[in-house]
Amino acid sequence: MKTPFMVPDTRNFLREMGEFTTSLIKGTENLAHIDEIDVGTAEKELVFSEDKIKLYHYRPLAGKTANVPVLIVYALVNRYYMLDLQPDRSLVRNLLKLGLDLYIVDWGYPTRADMYLTLDDYINGYLNDCIDFMREDTGHEKVNIMGICQGGTFSAIYSALYPEKIKNFVALVAPFDFSTNKGLLFSWAKHWNVDVLADTYGVIPGDFLNQGFLMLAPFQLNVRKYIEMLDIMEDKEKLLNFLRMEKWIFDSPGQAGEAFRQFLKDLYQDNKLVKGELVIGDKRVDLKRITMPVLNIYAGADHLVPPEATRPLNDLVGSTDKSLYEFKGGHIGVFVGSRSQKELAPNIAAWLRERDAEPPKEKSAPEIPEAVAEFSEGRTQVKGEAEETKEAGSASPESPGESPENSIKRRKRSKK
Amino acid sequence: MRNGPDIMEIYEKWFDSLTESVSRAGSSNIDILKDTLVRLSTRSNIYTKLYEIWLPLYNAIQSRAFDPRAYAGAFDPEAYKEVLDRVFGLTSPEKVLEVYDQAAKAIMVINTSVADFLVPWREAYEKNLQTVPQFIEGHPEAFLNIFHNLFNAFDNTIGRLFHIPAVGKDREKVELALRAMDELTVYVIKSIHFQHILYGTGLEAMEKVIQAFAERIKSGEEMKSFDEFLNTWVDINEREFLDLFRTDEFAKAQSEMMQAALNVRRHFHKQLELYLYDLPVALRSETKDLYRTVHDLKRRVNSLEKELSNLQTKEEARA
Repeated sequence: MKTPFMVPDTRNFLREMGEFTTSLIKGTENLAHIDEIDVGTAEKELVFSEDKIKLYHYRPLAGKTANVPVLIVYALVNRYYMLDLQPDRSLVRNLLKLGLDLYIVDWGYPTRADMYLTLDDYINGYLNDCIDFMREDTGHEKVNIMGICQGGTFSAIYSALYPEKIKNFVALVAPFDFSTNKGLLFSWAKHWNVDVLADTYGVIPGDFLNQGFLMLAPFQLNVRKYIEMLDIMEDKEKLLNFLRMEKWIFDSPGQAGEAFRQFLKDLYQDNKLVKGELVIGDKRVDLKRITMPVLNIYAGADHLVPPEATRPLNDLVGSTDKSLYEFKGGHIGVFVGSRSQKELAPNIAAWLRERDAEPPKEKSAPEIPEAVAEFSEGRTQVKGEAEETKEAGSASPESPGESPENSIKRRKRSKK
Repeated sequence: MRNGPDIMEIYEKWFDSLTESVSRAGSSNIDILKDTLVRLSTRSNIYTKLYEIWLPLYNAIQSRAFDPRAYAGAFDPEAYKEVLDRVFGLTSPEKVLEVYDQAAKAIMVINTSVADFLVPWREAYEKNLQTVPQFIEGHPEAFLNIFHNLFNAFDNTIGRLFHIPAVGKDREKVELALRAMDELTVYVIKSIHFQHILYGTGLEAMEKVIQAFAERIKSGEEMKSFDEFLNTWVDINEREFLDLFRTDEFAKAQSEMMQAALNVRRHFHKQLELYLYDLPVALRSETKDLYRTVHDLKRRVNSLEKELSNLQTKEEARA
């Protein structure tokens, strides 16, 4: 039986395939002519290093509006430049333009020589050394810590172990309660034989972990994304932005086996952090010891770190000043989404400024929109949106202070 | 339509030459550009392959009744398997044969007689390879055939070993080689089981795609573009696969396959160490010991430096 409703338009289909092929040819030619995929271009200076770990201090883009410096702690998985992926979509630049004093930890790329690095080394060692450096460098007894994703878990552990060094704690899309099975990684990791994995590899390859991330949305990330890419390939700027994201996605450092083993077993499998049973080195982690102000930001549609894993932190800490903030978007949208550019940095800056130790002394500080957001226990009401400040200066791909070794104010240990 | 493979062949050649020209361009981002080109090439192949699958279905829709079952004959599961292989980056079973061959060649250098032991395993694997289409179609007896083939291989190899007198270090190498083959076989079984789950879900999803289109046609909608099909296909597959990924069955199959793959890797490392033992090179296990020692020493030095720093601070305060 012939279908009465179908109007077979073979010419239309053929034209579609022809257009696809034309876009493919033009696009790949454009791709072949791309010279530079610049990421993380906000200027910064290497101020401290230890083994493969580097601590950078960002150059200010505006006068200070808050005195206490902020240390950004990113995850071991993937690279920290997600926070400054492109000049017009950069949490780092937005925070700098709002007058915050920013430092960031670069965990580097572990090799097999680093296979025995433990969570103790990362948290009681490297992270503690970075914070001690900042305290001595800036003269502040306490600094702010802003932890992202796994870096947020590290920051919570650190804040519980060293509350005397942390002024305010901001967590972004970070997992704390691993009992949920809402996220696929949470469900899968419970079945993994982590010992065999860590013993066999020594350093867990980044590609191995990436395959897991791509499986979270296999058809979107493996098929549709690249078909849609053809629509933007003739536009060099859009193509560059696409490539920046590709670079970030596939730029995955390996994971030191011992640290990976403990993170997976103690957290994903045994959920020891919320049970108060986690031990880092010789120190038990009690989240009740987090008594400083806490701002916990989660993404409502996060498929990597579901809200169920993030939200419980506020019930577990000892702080009385604690805020929970829902960003309407996904895990990556928090950093590069267009709405995030207007919403997130102003809210974080305003929250930190309200809790700053001393009032800002400089007059040239940019205006932060009044009552950008009001954070309250358990909920946040966004009252307005910030105007995006104009880009301050063009970004240079090669930050002058980034690479010269002689500019490093290198210290081995803090004297505090 | 059989033009598909030709088009894909042209694409592949074209992408190869383009990738090569990118490599010569001297860009500082060669890796990401090359990788993106390769990924684009793979996904374009998925696109054209799907188009190839779609056309007979489309023709069937034109000429047959609105019963989705009537379209089943127009659907090529082999071609569809290729699409799923590319989406999930699955290794084709033929690739594993190469591992057997490479292992046999490597061992032959050390001990020619060992190679004889590997032949039955390779033959068993070849037989198992032929059962893969049955897996795809969901025939449980295919599992029995695999075990039957493997048992015969075992009987012809390890079984014989029980009658061989001990021959020192060579015997150790033989045993390790056979255990490695055993691990490889376990991996093949786990991998096929894992892939079977994926293919099964893929076929179910495809049925739902066809069903969705049949219903749309029934309600009088026109199908104007292939992209409509592609988008529906992506949406339904994403939903169906995520439902699968949330199940314990999938998590267990994934974990078992991963562990089996790691066991193969560990055995390979052990074998390599055994063969390199007499040569003046640092072995993997020796470097691991060294890394641990360096790590422990660094921690000790750091700890002592901190203690010293604290003492100095106290001294300065007292002074």
